[in-house]
Amino acid sequence: MREVVDDIRVGVIHGPGGRIQPVWFDLQRKQHRIQQVTNSWRERRGDVTLIYFHVIDEGALYELVYSPSEAHWCLEQIEALI
Amino acid sequence: MTRTIMHIDMNAFFAAVEQQSNPALRDRPVAVVGSQQRTIILTSSYEARKFGVKTGMTLYEARQKCPQLQLVKANNRLYTYVSSQIMLIFQDYTPLVEIFSVDEAFLDVSGSLHYFGSVERIAYLIKSRIKARFGITCSVGIAPNKLLAKLASDMHKPDGLTLVRLDEVRDLLEELPIEDICGIGRKTTQKLNLLGIFTCGELGRFPVVKLKQKFGVVGERLALMGRGIDPGAVLSPEQEADVKTVGHSMTLRKDISLREDVARFLLQLSEMVGRRARRYSVSGRTVTLSIRYTDFSTFSRQQIQPAPISRSEEIYHAALRIFDRLLLTQPIRLLGVRLSNLQHRDCQLPLFLEERRREQLTKFLDRVNDRHGEFTVMSGSLLSVKGKGSHVISPAWRPEGIRNIGVR
Repeated sequence: MREVVDDIRVGVIHGPGGRIQPVWFDLQRKQHRIQQVTNSWRERRGDVTLIYFHVIDEGALYELVYSPSEAHWCLEQIEALI
Repeated sequence: MTRTIMHIDMNAFFAAVEQQSNPALRDRPVAVVGSQQRTIILTSSYEARKFGVKTGMTLYEARQKCPQLQLVKANNRLYTYVSSQIMLIFQDYTPLVEIFSVDEAFLDVSGSLHYFGSVERIAYLIKSRIKARFGITCSVGIAPNKLLAKLASDMHKPDGLTLVRLDEVRDLLEELPIEDICGIGRKTTQKLNLLGIFTCGELGRFPVVKLKQKFGVVGERLALMGRGIDPGAVLSPEQEADVKTVGHSMTLRKDISLREDVARFLLQLSEMVGRRARRYSVSGRTVTLSIRYTDFSTFSRQQIQPAPISRSEEIYHAALRIFDRLLLTQPIRLLGVRLSNLQHRDCQLPLFLEERRREQLTKFLDRVNDRHGEFTVMSGSLLSVKGKGSHVISPAWRPEGIRNIGVR
């Protein structure tokens, strides 16, 4: 299942050294608690750096993408796990 | 065009599967051992590796290193099932998936990059999906060819991702010991060392002519390996060369010397070989018997049959004929039976009634065993044999086709 949602609300903990950790996100009027961040990495697209997070809630694996320059999040559901 | 090849290696695969299926084993030193009596450590969890537990150790040695080590009997069916599911995930990113073993695969993602954005994203998608669904980590190596991708995946373990770019290859290989390259084994390393070659840099610079004199056709390939060149393509199962042999071997619970004991194991092995040959409609003209003595010295003898065979009793009689010509010098530790010189069986019915009856009986027995499991119907002399069937996942195991060897 793939579903891309642009401009979503994400709750984040900002840690030392500019580290960010997503904690929850809103999708279809429901708040999803992130249980685990399986992977995260940075990618440069021209002048823009994007930060990718693969996260798991209780039922699916999602990809959250953060653009620091625009302070903007988008989300893609990768796989239902149940 | 530069290719983008990925090598994916599951970290401590068997142990990780066990830790996921039994939460009590998580974060603990765990070692997986064979299901047979005379066994060694097949693999161990990273927690056990910290204590020095290694693959191939005896149980005694492993317990000396780590007294709290939890031993788990191998569950080969579970491992092959999880492996098949993981290999299906790979197919979502490219059809060019070459299964290297039960826990390793090569992917050629050169044609898929524009669909997914970047090779790193493909790698992380695969890693995350495997971790989310099975709780298992894997190490990924990305490089312009299979040789370098395999090398890269070994560089960061566990849960690593290493990208080797074309312009980094020379520096990477310059001081790299030759034995770190996949395909250069212990014996080749010793021979290369005698020529004064210890690093890949030295191997790449060594005159190809001299390497060819020493190693024959392999010499040229060694020279390429030293320079990080591997023209080999990633072959999907459909592209892999046809299987040339069908064989099974087994390490025996205890060493044997008596003919009747050998005959019983040969019958069992012949049944396993015959079943697999018949399932995939092949028969073979050459039967090979392999024997390993107690001192681990191993040899094979073969016999060409007048016509291609696939019935278990024909394979058995051929193997026994080979055995009867041998003069044993030591008790036997391992026995193997192999059918080669294969050809696809035609469907022509045998001319003679007796032969036709045998063929029908074999078909009927196969159908029963297909439906109710291997060795449901078997020769009476196998009734007393414990632990029938394959207990080891062969390196040639594949999720489908003739290389899909059922394990217990």
